Amino acid sequence: MSATTRSEGSMFSAYRFIPHGSLHALAGLAVVAAVLAFTVKDKFFLHVLIMMLLYASISSAWNIVGGFAGQLSLGHAAFFGIGAYTSTLLFIDLGISPWFGMVIGGALATLVSGAIGYPSFRLRGPFFTLVTIAFAEVVRLLTLYAQGLTRGSIGISVPFRPAVGNFIFRQHSAYACVALAFLVLTVLVGLWIQNSRLGYYLAAIREDEDAAQALGIDAARYKLVAVLISAFLTALGGTFYAQYIFYIEPFQTFSLDFSVLLAMMAIIGGLGTVWGPVAGAFLVTPLQEALQAKLGGELQGLHLVVYGTVLIVVVILLPQGIVPSLAAWGKRMFGQREARPAASPKGGA
Amino acid sequence: MVAILAQVAVSGILLGGVYALISIGLTLIFGVLRVINFAHGEFLMIAMYASFWLFSLYGLDPYGSIVLVVALLFVVGLIIQFLVIRPILNASASMQIAATVGLSILLQNLALVTMTANYRSVDTPLSKAVVSAGPLLLGVSRLVAFLVALAITGLLFLFLQRTYIGKAIRCTAQDRTAALLMGINIDRVYLVTFAIGSALVGVAGALLTPLYPVFPTVGTYFVLVAFVVVVLGGLGNLTGALLGGFIIGLVEAFSGFYVPELKEAVYFVVFIVVLLIRPTGLFGVVGAEEVGLK
Repeated sequence: MSATTRSEGSMFSAYRFIPHGSLHALAGLAVVAAVLAFTVKDKFFLHVLIMMLLYASISSAWNIVGGFAGQLSLGHAAFFGIGAYTSTLLFIDLGISPWFGMVIGGALATLVSGAIGYPSFRLRGPFFTLVTIAFAEVVRLLTLYAQGLTRGSIGISVPFRPAVGNFIFRQHSAYACVALAFLVLTVLVGLWIQNSRLGYYLAAIREDEDAAQALGIDAARYKLVAVLISAFLTALGGTFYAQYIFYIEPFQTFSLDFSVLLAMMAIIGGLGTVWGPVAGAFLVTPLQEALQAKLGGELQGLHLVVYGTVLIVVVILLPQGIVPSLAAWGKRMFGQREARPAASPKGGA
Repeated sequence: MVAILAQVAVSGILLGGVYALISIGLTLIFGVLRVINFAHGEFLMIAMYASFWLFSLYGLDPYGSIVLVVALLFVVGLIIQFLVIRPILNASASMQIAATVGLSILLQNLALVTMTANYRSVDTPLSKAVVSAGPLLLGVSRLVAFLVALAITGLLFLFLQRTYIGKAIRCTAQDRTAALLMGINIDRVYLVTFAIGSALVGVAGALLTPLYPVFPTVGTYFVLVAFVVVVLGGLGNLTGALLGGFIIGLVEAFSGFYVPELKEAVYFVVFIVVLLIRPTGLFGVVGAEEVGLK
């Protein structure tokens, strides 16, 4: 694999091996999470763990487009919703196992992402973001409108029929294991992209699209590949959500707030790095769940006040996000430990 | 049937006036600072709450308190520009969006925590009054909002054409560096522009209070429409925002008449089509969509 020549080879061929450090870190994370999944008996903590793993995965999936390719999508809720609705409707109406429905949902989201991504990648910066918002709104409104199929604003409840084949478990720890597997998958995809030609192309596009084009990189094509992968993985997260929460409805599932949340976790952790979204989700999710559980209806929205503030402060003071800033600090403290250059936002006037 | 369609068209144009009023501030800020303020809707929400509380605590009619609300929003604009926008002016587009989205989340939920999610509305004698012009019925509040939108756009135009600071603003919008070289204090231009943009949405908020209830997420609905309007008119183009407002108002009125369940979907589809076919908007300058992203 490493023998790929520079001039030839598909975009998926490895440019270099995935650094062992990252694989060790992933293995360590998986072991810790698995041990926690089976030792923690408290329902609430287990729930927080599951949500952390789920959000880390979906935010990592978002990061492929939003971070690696630098295209700030605020429409990923649409892919999430398509995944959730497809597998759930197939399960309820046709009795198809959500495991299989999950793949169909992913394929459908991929198809839709291609249809919207292909024309809209011509747009840059805020214009791209606006189109993604409008797209997710259209999907949400159509879901509300197609009541016969989607049950409209009432939403859909997933019947509790525990069976491995139904993707419904009695034990929370089983959900934690599935979420962990999902996280391992998305992080591996992220690491692989980052160290493949595709990752290098995307980084070039992110830093300066015109320069990348001038060097012969087909920006539209690679951005499209990035969104296809990202949409597929995001839709998988949608299925998991539906199977775990047992209820989906258009306002929440397709909401702009959810898209923003995914982006926010990645930005706080470190946009365009593999570990950024994971760190962001691990920091933000417990805060969200704890504040929601503690304050409940009383001070509804307080956790979002904290989010908004953290987001502004991070953007202004640590525009690279927490992970790259820590990595840089670690490098200064401990010498030559390798740290990949992070997504540096274009500075200077 | 003709009378009904004429009524729908008139309602659409009046609604368009409201949308235009919200959009002008957004487009002004983008044209000069090259930042899309995702918290624009929350500024509208603040203005509507201010108008509401002035009415319910001190009995001030929303039309009477308009000066106070505009002054408040001007100050809010100054503060936000200084604290949040100024530090990110040279950041990447992603970071600018992230910061203003963060601001939007913060303000929205601050309102939720302090004001609760209740819908609050102002009931003035004028808020439900209707005048008839021939066979057509016109809501007085909507008519006022429409006329003020026209007047404000005219005044803003005069301000930008005739005053020194207005000329400085236009100069900065054309070319930051050249403006700097001509001795224009860019920092101050940005500060004033952002404050004026906020004050304009203050006008919109005060005029909307008799028409719509206020609640913490009221801005989200209007800001999405405002994005559609400003992109349609060409970001940074003031007359474009006015015309875009009318177009979206008409689109919404007619799609509301023919396909009520899908009226929002219709204008989002119009929006996507316009962005994909002519991202500079109907009245924008070619290339405008790529300016200011660095």
